[in-house]
Amino acid sequence: MRKVVTFGRDFFADVGRAWSQFWFQSSLTSPLEIARIGVGAALLVNYGAASAYLFDFWGEAGFVPRDLVWNDRTDGWVQSVFFYFSAPCQWVAFHVLFLACCAALMLGWRTTWVKWLVLVGHISYAYRAPAIAYGVDKILACLLLILCVGPVGRAISLDRVRAVRAAKLKDLAAVLPPYASPWAGACIRLMQIQMAVLFFYSAVGKLRGDDWWNGDAIWIVFTTGDHYNRFLLDLLASHYWLVNVATYATILIEIAFPFLIWQRRTRPYFLALAIALHLQFAVLMGLFYFSFVMVMGHMSFVRTEWLARLGAAWKRWIGDMEMIYDGRCGFCVRSMAWFLAFDGLRQIRIRDFRTAPSPVVSDAQLEKALYLVLPDGRALPGFEAYRYVVPRVPGLWWQAPFFYVPVLSRLVGHPIYNWIAANRSRLSSLRLGWAVR
Amino acid sequence: MISKQWRERLTYAAMSAFVGWHTLAMIIAPAPDASEAIKTLRIPFQPYLSFFKLDNQWDFFAPNVGNGSQLRYIVEDSKGNHHPFVPDRELSWYHPSFFWFRSWFNGIFDTPEMYADAAGAFFCHKHAALHPLAVILLEAAQKDFSPEDQLAGKKPLDPQFVTVTTVKKVECAKS
Repeated sequence: MRKVVTFGRDFFADVGRAWSQFWFQSSLTSPLEIARIGVGAALLVNYGAASAYLFDFWGEAGFVPRDLVWNDRTDGWVQSVFFYFSAPCQWVAFHVLFLACCAALMLGWRTTWVKWLVLVGHISYAYRAPAIAYGVDKILACLLLILCVGPVGRAISLDRVRAVRAAKLKDLAAVLPPYASPWAGACIRLMQIQMAVLFFYSAVGKLRGDDWWNGDAIWIVFTTGDHYNRFLLDLLASHYWLVNVATYATILIEIAFPFLIWQRRTRPYFLALAIALHLQFAVLMGLFYFSFVMVMGHMSFVRTEWLARLGAAWKRWIGDMEMIYDGRCGFCVRSMAWFLAFDGLRQIRIRDFRTAPSPVVSDAQLEKALYLVLPDGRALPGFEAYRYVVPRVPGLWWQAPFFYVPVLSRLVGHPIYNWIAANRSRLSSLRLGWAVR
Repeated sequence: MISKQWRERLTYAAMSAFVGWHTLAMIIAPAPDASEAIKTLRIPFQPYLSFFKLDNQWDFFAPNVGNGSQLRYIVEDSKGNHHPFVPDRELSWYHPSFFWFRSWFNGIFDTPEMYADAAGAFFCHKHAALHPLAVILLEAAQKDFSPEDQLAGKKPLDPQFVTVTTVKKVECAKS
């Protein structure tokens, strides 16, 4: 009897361990963050382009009359905010809010609540006009729900920038550890399972059709009006074996993917195959939006170690950068806190010349401007320092348009920087005044 | 107050319940409804699947691709003249509206009782300058198109490769 009890206890303990190992391994959020950025960008572009058709497709008396859709619902759980609007301004206000939320989701600003508004918005658009919703809208709803329950916005986001900045305002040398949690691992796993399930059912569905069994499906796809491609049809007609190969390869990839994507050795190959497949859908079939969203879903299979190695390789390639600033100037410290908050890879080292004089740049020079010291010993002052850093720190790429407009950037940038540097004590006290108030 | 240990256990149980529930939902949603077991399993999941729009089949181009159809329409003016149009030609592959319109056209073919009247009204309004009396919506259903046809310089939407049928004649509202 005791043996049975022990066996049962060990068995359940093993199952519990396996369950935890499968679902709740602590993980960084970066794969989810890449998906978040991609999904947010895709939604922003798609629904931004939809603005001109807002009333045609989703309006009260548009192509798809509201009463007909309402009556045609399969059950009461099919809901859309558009079912309850009555004035045109409500459509416009909601559309503008939704686009703003898509942009915020992409940038990772106030992500914890913005993502839910994006989910509500997307489902509302899809359910209001079911006739125009297609595959990509379904995938987006699935991915968005996982992003909503997941802890996104903790990396590669403005939320992360704000958190790092807050820490650096207290101590510029502070390092905020990257967010990792078992729940992030579980949400990554959910997204992976979603993609695997999608591939499995897609393959199984195809295996039931003669077009796929006979190897002709790809030919038929390109003869339809949606995906007609004359150049490709010419090529396929004269080399029909390509059609057979492409048809069977599509099924083979789709059927093998859900089984072989999990193994350490096969994952890189199947991830590459799945991405290549969708790139072909984009280029050859015009399914740009669908393919992009699918690739973003596949980002859940990107291992955080790969991203870490990529980041390390980037850092090595760019080389060491040391920024020397005036630690006595409050404005300079606050600016540095902002600036460094965007340096997610921690590529920039800092030195306060007041407490640790630089062996390369003299104090007299540093009284006039901030300096950037490069591995080869070169020292770039002020505007040129920022200009050098911007393309080399991925978190600062968004500033490139300001620093790299030919002629104009330098023409305007230098005087602005010099003015700020010369008046930094005044600017520091100005900020102090606000703080006191 | 719940102790920290219990709080952690409860959190773990809640997280486990959610991932288990959602995974089952993802697997059940696209499963064919042929078996009674699947139908029964769906019942508790249906509200969740519907509310979050997770009830999807993932049957892209399956089981068969299908030959496709093209929407055409004829505007009948007050003098009895017929003006044919092919709305596809105004669409660009590179704009998201391409697939919205194509999906809408398919909706018109599949459920004309839902979409044909609104489509007719839209085209009446669009061609108001022709003083239309009615719009006749047509479906040009594609037939099989072989590689030999392609090599002979023909196109899938040439007249011999389509069957044109009337979907609905929609009278235009008098303005």
